[in-house]
Amino acid sequence: MSESMNKQNAVSNVIYKASLFLDEHRWDDWLNLCHEDFYYAIKAFSPEINYDMIYMDGNREEMRTITDMLPKHNSDNSPLARHTVVYTVEMDESQDTATAVSSFAVYKTELDGINSHALAGESNIFLVGKYRDKFGFENGEPFFMERIVQLDTRRLDKGSHFPI
Amino acid sequence: MPARNAKQWDKIPGKIESGEYVDSRIYSDRNIFEEEISKIFKKVWTPVCHESELSEPYSFRTMTVAREPVMVVRGADNQIRAFLNVCPHRGNMIENRPSGSFEQGSPSGAPKHMTCMFHAWQFDMKGNCVHISRGSEGYQDRLECSDVGLRRLRCEVKYGGFVWVTLNDAIDQTVEEWAGGAFDCMEKSLNAEPLEVFHYHKAIIPCNYKLWHDTNSEFYHDYLHYHNRITGFNDSYFARKNIGFDNGHVNVGSFEVQYDQYEGFESREELSFPHLPNNHWEMIDFFPGVNFNLRGSALRCDIMTPLGPDKVMIEFRGLGLKSDTPEERLIRQRHHNSIWGPFGRNLHEDLLAVSTQQATMSEFADKRRILHGRHEVDADGDPTIHDEEGMRHFYDAWGRWMDRWPGDPELSFEEGQKREAA
Ligand code: FES
Ligand SMILES: [Fe+2]
Repeated sequence: MSESMNKQNAVSNVIYKASLFLDEHRWDDWLNLCHEDFYYAIKAFSPEINYDMIYMDGNREEMRTITDMLPKHNSDNSPLARHTVVYTVEMDESQDTATAVSSFAVYKTELDGINSHALAGESNIFLVGKYRDKFGFENGEPFFMERIVQLDTRRLDKGSHFPI
Repeated sequence: MPARNAKQWDKIPGKIESGEYVDSRIYSDRNIFEEEISKIFKKVWTPVCHESELSEPYSFRTMTVAREPVMVVRGADNQIRAFLNVCPHRGNMIENRPSGSFEQGSPSGAPKHMTCMFHAWQFDMKGNCVHISRGSEGYQDRLECSDVGLRRLRCEVKYGGFVWVTLNDAIDQTVEEWAGGAFDCMEKSLNAEPLEVFHYHKAIIPCNYKLWHDTNSEFYHDYLHYHNRITGFNDSYFARKNIGFDNGHVNVGSFEVQYDQYEGFESREELSFPHLPNNHWEMIDFFPGVNFNLRGSALRCDIMTPLGPDKVMIEFRGLGLKSDTPEERLIRQRHHNSIWGPFGRNLHEDLLAVSTQQATMSEFADKRRILHGRHEVDADGDPTIHDEEGMRHFYDAWGRWMDRWPGDPELSFEEGQKREAA
């Protein structure tokens, strides 16, 4: 297999690995897949106000501050899990960086958000969108330089402020 | 006291008085809900969007007010007008998109007109009917364009460019009169220069609209928020006051937020709104279901649309100055979203709390007393931020509009007052 193919496969793998870490709330493991200059943002376009919005953003340290504080918040603890499909991975000419587009759907399985007697265990789609990721490489291994979470969903009901 | 049996549970606890609690049925009863729609929501002024959402002539926004479809349009003369979004022919909704422009023609109609796609009747931006398809053939001289204009609604652009609408032609107050001084605390800041909406999202929450309004009105729930547990609870915080205005509006006075107490937050000093002292915070709980929250660098506005006794849509907007540079805008967005965005630190906690609150008050569940009897005053005898005067003021107005006593909605307001006096 060519170096380019190897790297493309490695990029897909790291996106899936990140999906599992996010599903399992292994925030540090997730952030360790990211470069220290990593930039993360959740964006959406609102036709209502005709505006490209940023719902959340930060660098790796800011994201770590947020995830470290998660246990101090009163959250809906219903687990969020994602179904991710990597659509494209494109290497730049020098083979030093890559960009990837993945589609995702995040499901919420109710636990304690409303009346758990009736609702715990019920699964619903929470939000959908695309991951637009940028990668660098070290010893052939990819790391996230940027993740833009481009949401289609703009009705965002009671949930959490977990990174997506 | 140990846990109580059914009889004890039913009694008014301690020395809480009538007027210091409401009956939970006002949050769950379907008849009361329907009455609120007809007696309150169809009668009052409400903001429906912001003028920056209709930036060009021929742009429009659609929404509903008290279940009625409404359309807001900017005319060629730059004037913003509101109409029922209902075709006078066979009642079709004229425009289905949330926003857009009539500048281009639609599949059924001409440019610069609103066209009902069903049978292609056309209207101008002032709501005049200008075309009835095969009109004279079908109606001869029995019906003409001049007979079938749109239903116009009273509309004002006021307080920082919000578009206010009422379904009530007979309302005897302007928006300003209806506000009754509640905007005095931030009007200068809002009107200093044009504003622009940079954030919009909505949530549909399984709770009564009043529970969200309550949460916006009471600050005692600081304990819910990690952010507030860390930044609040100093002297200036408790010096903040609730001030009631006519028509049920409440203002929560200014104080300085200690952003530096909270890791990951920078001060909001650099980008405070015009005329707003650094890091200050002003809030208006506007009757019956709107909240304006001006906190340092960003304005938040929640508009509630009740969808059922236990269902409310909340539209969240964030606003900055139209003159912002991209860098300034980014900072305002961050300030706004880090707390109030859908992934912010406080909003999800508030939404969770009102959902679990409503979960104990389903329709036909046993009625309960929901207390708002805190009287907490400072050294001068003024109510502090943890006094629940804001909610009491709201429910006093609510009871008068509804002619029901909030503490026992089976009583008229007057009967409730008499019982309170006794
Ligand atoms: S219903 Fe609108 S044109 Fe017929
Ligand atoms: Fe809150």
